[in-house]
Amino acid sequence: MRPWLGWALKLSLVGLVVLAGFAVYLDAVVQEKFSGKRWTIPAKVYARPLELFVGQKLSKDDFLTELDALGYRREAVSNGPGAAAVNGNTVDLNTRGFQFYEGMEQAQPVRVRFSGDYVAELSATNGSKLSVVRLEPLLIGGIYPKNLEDRILIKIDQVPPYLLETLVAVEDRDFYSHWGVSPKSIARAIYVNTSGGKMTQGGSTLTQQLVKNFYLTSERSLTRKLTEAMMAMLLELHYDKSEILEAYLNEVFVGQDGQRAVHGFGLASQFFFGQPLSELKLHQVALLVGMVKGPSYYNPRRNPERALERRNLVLDVLKEQGVASAEQVEAAKKMPLGVTTRGKLADSSFPGFLDLVKRQLREDYRDEDLTEEGLRIFTSFDPILQMKAEASVNDTFKRLAGRKGSDDVEAAMVVTNPETGEVQAMIGSRQASFAGFNRALDAVRPIGSLIKPAVYLTALEKPSQYTLTSWLSDDYFSVKGADGQIWKPQNYDRRSHGTVFLYQGLAHSYNLSTARLGLAVGVPNVLKTLARLGVSREFPAFPSMLLGAGGMTPIEVATMYQTLANGGFNTPMRGIRSVLTAEGEPLKRYPFQIQQQFDPASIYLIQNAMQRVMREGTGSSVYNVLPKTLTLAGKTGTSNDSRDSWFAGFSQDLLAVVWLGRDDNGKTPFTGATGALQVWTSFMRKADPLPLDMPQPDNIVQAWVDSRTGQGSEANCPGAVQMPYIRGSEPPPGAACGGESPAESVMDWVKGWMN
Amino acid sequence: MNKWLIPAVTAVALLSGCSTVQRGSIPVEDAGTAVSNSERISANGGFRQSTVKRPVQAQTQAIPQGDTGVVVMVPGGGAVSSAPISTSPITPGPITPGPIDTSPVQSAPINQGSYSMPSTPSGIPSANSGGLSADEQLDGPVLALLTTAQQQQASGDLNGASSSLERAQRVAPREPQVLYRLAQVRMAQGDAAQAEQFARRGLTFANGRPDLQASLWELIAQAREKQGDPAGAALARQKAKVSL
Repeated sequence: MRPWLGWALKLSLVGLVVLAGFAVYLDAVVQEKFSGKRWTIPAKVYARPLELFVGQKLSKDDFLTELDALGYRREAVSNGPGAAAVNGNTVDLNTRGFQFYEGMEQAQPVRVRFSGDYVAELSATNGSKLSVVRLEPLLIGGIYPKNLEDRILIKIDQVPPYLLETLVAVEDRDFYSHWGVSPKSIARAIYVNTSGGKMTQGGSTLTQQLVKNFYLTSERSLTRKLTEAMMAMLLELHYDKSEILEAYLNEVFVGQDGQRAVHGFGLASQFFFGQPLSELKLHQVALLVGMVKGPSYYNPRRNPERALERRNLVLDVLKEQGVASAEQVEAAKKMPLGVTTRGKLADSSFPGFLDLVKRQLREDYRDEDLTEEGLRIFTSFDPILQMKAEASVNDTFKRLAGRKGSDDVEAAMVVTNPETGEVQAMIGSRQASFAGFNRALDAVRPIGSLIKPAVYLTALEKPSQYTLTSWLSDDYFSVKGADGQIWKPQNYDRRSHGTVFLYQGLAHSYNLSTARLGLAVGVPNVLKTLARLGVSREFPAFPSMLLGAGGMTPIEVATMYQTLANGGFNTPMRGIRSVLTAEGEPLKRYPFQIQQQFDPASIYLIQNAMQRVMREGTGSSVYNVLPKTLTLAGKTGTSNDSRDSWFAGFSQDLLAVVWLGRDDNGKTPFTGATGALQVWTSFMRKADPLPLDMPQPDNIVQAWVDSRTGQGSEANCPGAVQMPYIRGSEPPPGAACGGESPAESVMDWVKGWMN
Repeated sequence: MNKWLIPAVTAVALLSGCSTVQRGSIPVEDAGTAVSNSERISANGGFRQSTVKRPVQAQTQAIPQGDTGVVVMVPGGGAVSSAPISTSPITPGPITPGPIDTSPVQSAPINQGSYSMPSTPSGIPSANSGGLSADEQLDGPVLALLTTAQQQQASGDLNGASSSLERAQRVAPREPQVLYRLAQVRMAQGDAAQAEQFARRGLTFANGRPDLQASLWELIAQAREKQGDPAGAALARQKAKVSL
């Protein structure tokens, strides 16, 4: 008897020591993980914030599109952050406030009045004028490793009314009184488990659920259940209820978005409603809490009826428990589910642009920094322009669907603001939401005649030799290249055009005159010009380079044309403005940088010639659609056998490069003008940009010349036209063609009329 | 009335474009000129006002003879060139000093006539408003952002100042004062090369604003000194004097 008792005593002592040791170990585990950084958070990528100010060009429709994307509620009277009320041309809204690199933008009520496509008035609701207001930026994606959890961390004081009460009422009514475990439910769980049934009953407390998800695997066993219980009690020992609840709110799994697991109510709110959690109403809260029981089973997008039933059941519980009044519950039950259509926030919405952002970030950050630190990435992405670019591609393909072979044609597009050097939109695939081969960044294709502005610019930089009205021969010729091969270029129409003005060679994209000009100025010099325009790719100095045999990507073309559009100042292409840490501390800026590469006067001339491409040359079909008052500059490009259809062009504030072609490099039914230009035109019509208007540099003079001879002429002579020249290169003034000092008299006459 | 209204407007456009001498004689309404983002606003004014502009473009050639438009685009025709220079005007986007104040757009019918009519010569920036000293012209958003940047710079937050100025530049990309301030902040950040670049960009938009031109050249001089280019700095100082 005694030895047995002794053994039992010893054994139980050992058992206690082991248990105590285990408890100490668990305690360390519990505290270690809970006190440190609890979660790794993928970087969040934001679009540009929409700026509002008087005189800003912004249509009401575009503004409302932005508000919808940001999840603003339309209400009769704007009441509280995230609400908007539309009244004719006036929109009252309550912004949400946001931490930007430059500082905090406060949430505030704002009244915006539109007139035409402009903001005519911006004021606080008390009527005082506001000079500039920023909306919060649209979240356009994140940077996730494969199979990762994503969440938006929230603090417990950011939750909407009813959320905590509902959660407790539905999941764990004793939460505020128990010590981590509820003996009742454990007993029930053991009973259900041992009586043969599967342990399907939840029954664990919120603390246990948190422990299970946060520390343990999903294995279902008795030892795990015991461990879970011990850890739950230890957690309760060290942390108070609100800390545990806050962790629960952020940990809970609420849905799957492709590869990405949606965790926490913060992200769930954005994912399902497109709104910040703090703005949710009773019916939305009930839906989210109801989903905790079975995120997949009650998925409101896939199983709306089940979800609705579950939501209403939760609402009934609230009534029963006295959390909400019967009237409130009845009203909430009448509400629709209110979930957004899928994809608003999904990682896959704008894969082309996100790809650009990721590549730029990888130059500065390690992958772990991007996928774990919760960085906030602010970009120049403009969702409104992106939608318009996508619509232009779709519309144009639809319109050209009759062309044989157009189905196999792929597309890429880059949209930038030449005045700031920022990328605003990007399409890497004909189906813009398709992530994969990003043609805007990776398709290296012969650029054809897009090279020609570099040829003409090289010449125009020598005003003593070349002006826009210099004569060029467009006759046939052939040269022997360095490799011994004979190069015999052809015009697109296979005809020679005799003698043409220099600018006409560009406007009509004549190959013969362009190649002659390029050979005269020297192929290496043209390649140097290309490099100064911002193209870092190296090309061999073959004559065929003059007609665009060299390959470039659409984004490289955009860089090149941006320098032409921006007065000769090159800007490295930027998609990212700044990066903040998860706490909102400034981390890194990507500053605006410029580098003057050309004298503005020669750029003024090449822009003039490129405007003539649009007015009278290969781009003239734009003015079938766009108003003549909209000054644009651009260039078509077509590679051999129409394998590549290009257009690159710009207004004052918008530059777009479009490429169409096949991935297998086969023939397409499109030239630059019949394919890419159509997309470009459609885009410009939707985007409604400002007309190109480069300030005239000091060393440019406008001279009257005879439109046929290029000789100086008087303004009133028949056929006289005005052309810009770099000072000193203009033709000598021509003789008057009768009448006394006509210019002055016309002026007097006009002045008289004006007065 | 209508018949000669069109050539008249056209003539203003063309003649004003052809000569700097006559520019002054064109009755450009000077009152509300050149501001920050006025380019955008006024460009709009002109752009939307296409009813006025379009005939101008279409009938450019009508002026010399004063009769109906003679189409010059006759292929061949014994001319030297196989195709003459097209007379369709490569213009000037419709620019003009726009209204500055806070109510540019709403006053549509009345106001727009007045500022879209006297078309400014081709390519002359709308900022061209003669001797007005710059600061007083800044309005709303740009002034607010420059003020914010000033405060950030004063408190030593150069990155914040820089960021606010870039924000201002996005709002008014062609306002030389913004570029000038950006250049100053780059200078304070120790990036003399970029300071010079921004000052040079500012100069391309500062026609007709001699005070600002002088300041920009002075800044370029300092930037060049910092970069170890005393000769270039001296040259820039010279330009600063000429500007004034």
